[in-house]
Amino acid sequence: MPLLNKIKLIPRPPLAELEYKAKWLSLLLLAVGLHIFEAALPSLGPWFKPGLANIITLLALVILGPASAAMLAIWRVIIGSFLIGTLFTPTFIISLAGGTAAAVVMLTVWRFIPGITLIGISLAGALAHMTVQLVTVESLFIHQHALYYLLPPLLLLSVITGWFNGGLAMYIVSRVKESE
Amino acid sequence: MATLASENTTKQNLWHWFKGSWTDRLLLLASLITIFYAWQWIDAEVSSGPPLVMIYHDDKLLARYAFPEDGKPIHFHAKGELGISEIVIDADGARFLSSPCTTEYCVSRGHRKKHGDIIACVPNRILIAIEGSHKQNGTLDAIVE
Repeated sequence: MPLLNKIKLIPRPPLAELEYKAKWLSLLLLAVGLHIFEAALPSLGPWFKPGLANIITLLALVILGPASAAMLAIWRVIIGSFLIGTLFTPTFIISLAGGTAAAVVMLTVWRFIPGITLIGISLAGALAHMTVQLVTVESLFIHQHALYYLLPPLLLLSVITGWFNGGLAMYIVSRVKESE
Repeated sequence: MATLASENTTKQNLWHWFKGSWTDRLLLLASLITIFYAWQWIDAEVSSGPPLVMIYHDDKLLARYAFPEDGKPIHFHAKGELGISEIVIDADGARFLSSPCTTEYCVSRGHRKKHGDIIACVPNRILIAIEGSHKQNGTLDAIVE
């Protein structure tokens, strides 16, 4: 008993805080899962992925807010790269730069462009992701402007996937709100 | 009838989720116009004259070849950060035959022959670009450093 008296009880965190953390971690795990799934898909082109994991960033933006969405986008790349064995490789650096840029652009357009929906936010994020990936490759790894020859077709693919992912995110958000 | 009505509802629902707002569509239009003009500009830049295979390591041009008219393959060994990448240029196009990188995405990309095509090996920092010969100075068939 004297020993028990000496132990200070850790105060229980507020329920709202626990709920927020649980939601953030659930979304993070989903995003990491999709990140790994995309890495396993056959390559559709150099540095091109469908961006399915970005849907989770959009969900986090709506459900948890901008700061949580940005953190989720960054941690998703770090944990996902660790699990697929590309941490600190050029692939990781390119992914991290693209993911961070996409998060920043998505939060900016969400904050400053009136009337934009998750579709427009996703579109802007996809374009930023692809552009920054190529700029990163050109500035850090292969210093050749010829790399930008790839930009228009890759951006066109990004427009398609960005729009699709945004629509999918809107559908999921509506279903989540219905269930709450 | 019920199935048809259900299908119609599903179609309406799909349209509802994917139509976007006017702001989204405006953003889409601006993006497509920018991409179209960028594509036109790059196409005009690289499509002049017969194609040449340019092989770079980082910012240094290692070699420049025309596609062999007799179809006889040209083998080039490009020294990069990790080691030697073997490149083959033949009638089908240019490709990485082997690479010291672990992923070998560059090898799996196969042949490239059209103007503006590129294959990059980022870990070994080797780039193959197909460019128009009129963009280059001179009309040499090959330069090798």
